[in-house]
Amino acid sequence: MKNRLKILRAERNWSQADLADRLDVSRQTVNAIETGKYDPSLPLAFRIGRLFEQPIETIFDDEAA
Amino acid sequence: MNAASEAPRRNVSRLVLGGLGLLFGGGLGYLVGRLIKTGVIDPGRLGWSDNLAMLIAACLLAIGLIVGLASFSRTAVGRMIDRTGSRIATPAQASFYRQQAVVMFLAGLLMAAPVVASASFEVIPMVVASIVMLAVLAVFLIQTVYNLTVWHRSDELIRRVTSETGAVCFWVLQGLLFLWAAAEKLGLAPPLTAWDIMTVLMGTYLVVASIMSARRGLS
Repeated sequence: MKNRLKILRAERNWSQADLADRLDVSRQTVNAIETGKYDPSLPLAFRIGRLFEQPIETIFDDEAA
Repeated sequence: MNAASEAPRRNVSRLVLGGLGLLFGGGLGYLVGRLIKTGVIDPGRLGWSDNLAMLIAACLLAIGLIVGLASFSRTAVGRMIDRTGSRIATPAQASFYRQQAVVMFLAGLLMAAPVVASASFEVIPMVVASIVMLAVLAVFLIQTVYNLTVWHRSDELIRRVTSETGAVCFWVLQGLLFLWAAAEKLGLAPPLTAWDIMTVLMGTYLVVASIMSARRGLS
């Protein structure tokens, strides 16, 4: 599944570690999501949506999978 | 941190890790050599699964020791988390790595203890066997507590990798075990001991875990 996590993170000038702290996950998890190696669980996807104040479907694109 | 200063830093990390590995490997090799030379351990009594178990045990002990020692430096843990970053790990991250190291080190001890004990005697006395078994049981319980703690402290990616590893191992090994059992029943394959099966299971688990971790970008 493609996502805009890296772009959203870059817009805020956050490192992967900064984002990981805000989401309470490891930096490796953020990296795996950004590189498309891992699709987050629904609770984590909601946390990401709330953090960036955007609906999940504007961050994750399931049709690009 | 620029690219020019990054390369020497990485080289120093590799040198330190390589040095620790050499130190541990050399020490272990010397110890095993002495035990064989003085007749404490008889390699003739070791089967293929004993040798494989000792190899796995040595790897687990070495990795556990290196990660455990490195976990006392938050800078080193920071580098393990992010090789390109310059962030120092939090105390919680360092203790998480230390707990993982304890799990690996204790797993190494559990793999090695029955082999070393049985190789030290022609026929292992019941008292010694009971003492070793009680020690194995105690270490197993401690390791289980640490294992559960690591699971609870892990985030969802590590839990997913652990679950996938368990699932793949189950499907692969139950198939292989069935085929071997069928061949054994038909007199086409030699019988396996519980120790043989456990060693293959452990070795397969470690290989599958490495592949699953790499697939998810964890290594």
